[in-house]
Amino acid sequence: MISLRHVSYSFGTQWALKNISLEVRKGDFLFLVGPSGAGKTTLLRLLHGAIPLKRGQGTVAGFDLHALKARRIHLLRREVSVVFQDFKILPDRTVFANVALALEVRNMPRTHTERRVRAVLRGLDLENKMHVSCAQLSGGEQQRVAIARAVVVGPQLLLADEPTGNLDRELAMRLMSIFLQFHAHGTTIVLATHNQEILACVPDAKILHLEDGAVNWTNWDMDVSK
Amino acid sequence: MFRIVLKLMLQGVTDIRRHPWIQVLTLAAVTLVAFLGGLFLLVLHNLDLELHRAGGDIQFQIYWQPEAEQEMVRTQWDSLRELEHLAEIKTFSGDQALELLMQRLGGTGDFAWLQGNNPLPATALLTFSVRDDDQQTWAKATYLHLETLEGVEKVSFNPLQLDLARGWARFSNQVIWPLILFLGVVLALVVGNTIKLSQLHRRNEVEILRLVGAARWYIQLPMLVSGAVLGLLGGILALLMLKGVQLSLRDLLHFPPLWLRLDYLPSSQTLAFLAVLVVMGFLSSWVALREK
Repeated sequence: MISLRHVSYSFGTQWALKNISLEVRKGDFLFLVGPSGAGKTTLLRLLHGAIPLKRGQGTVAGFDLHALKARRIHLLRREVSVVFQDFKILPDRTVFANVALALEVRNMPRTHTERRVRAVLRGLDLENKMHVSCAQLSGGEQQRVAIARAVVVGPQLLLADEPTGNLDRELAMRLMSIFLQFHAHGTTIVLATHNQEILACVPDAKILHLEDGAVNWTNWDMDVSK
Repeated sequence: MFRIVLKLMLQGVTDIRRHPWIQVLTLAAVTLVAFLGGLFLLVLHNLDLELHRAGGDIQFQIYWQPEAEQEMVRTQWDSLRELEHLAEIKTFSGDQALELLMQRLGGTGDFAWLQGNNPLPATALLTFSVRDDDQQTWAKATYLHLETLEGVEKVSFNPLQLDLARGWARFSNQVIWPLILFLGVVLALVVGNTIKLSQLHRRNEVEILRLVGAARWYIQLPMLVSGAVLGLLGGILALLMLKGVQLSLRDLLHFPPLWLRLDYLPSSQTLAFLAVLVVMGFLSSWVALREK
């Protein structure tokens, strides 16, 4: 699903990622951990094409990041969904409109969109808020809308950047159980966090600890040549 | 595919309702700037018209021989009416000239004794409105043509008038049209920047659309249409306001000795005005949406 070889990335003279090599298979759950500024967000941004791969080699969901042209990035993003700490939803639109957006850009038929959105919102306990404006939702509900939008398309890979960062402990645990549901259905998940407590929610998850842009330690054999 | 494009274009129009206050303020700004630009254009257009009306004409006075056949002269007058660039023709037979002279002189001018033995020749005063660059050559050719007409004794024209006509034409070409072009550029920049600023508030929406896998054209098409529609609406409102101003000021200066009447913009300039606004709405939206 993800294969990185000697990937480095710099913002000017500041190296954000240093010689990262990584292999994530379909169905894996990977935690990216480390302190702020360790390179977690940069790595996630690289994985969904928000920043270009300049050094090293990498493929994500079958897309060669090095050869990926700007006009084809949307094709990668149709396979890789992202959830952010700040939700990135449209507050002036309803819950339904926000979630349906991901299917509309794929030109899905209206009936299919309605059925699919309703099913996902039911799973996330948001069906009764379907026609409510997102501005009227709580932080936890807004985060669930963001997750609904990410999973409604059935992505191969789900990236989440500190999704529990703005939530209290109870909501964070509830959110993790949602991620686990999708993981159980075969979705590959890469979740960046500095919340050590949620690591325990997924005992068999891979953990990659980043520090100062480099891999500090992992809980599995990282020899990518195997 | 056509259905999707149509849907996105319609979405571009309906999206204007999404942030009504921002769009209304943008529309007001575009309309007012376009109105100011249109007002300037209207003044320049009328100035140009007036300059051509007042100073762009060349006159020839033709005198026939007194013994020339009246019938032949009248036939020639008819053929003169067909000449290119002719704006006006005034003709006088010898008798008409005598009568006019008597009228003008009043009681002291009784030339009744001259009737039947009138020494005044038939004449014609031809006024041409010439816009050609090579007026000198045209005037020479016309002079020669008129002089060689059968029965014509003398043709006169004032070369100073030709210089004046050329001067006005040069002034019009070198000052008024560059001013109109400059105005077009200023209008385009101000309108463009206004619409661009209004599109910037949609950056969040654009970012989210990119995030969920929307193709570039899918994101841009509705916003480009929104920009073009804003430009078009602003242009139409500005033209309506301009028409109101033109109608209310139309006869303000229509009194002696000015006799100035404010005309509305011709359809070619109206269309160009709208086209500039639509294109700028479209382009400025595109600039605002460019990927960084």
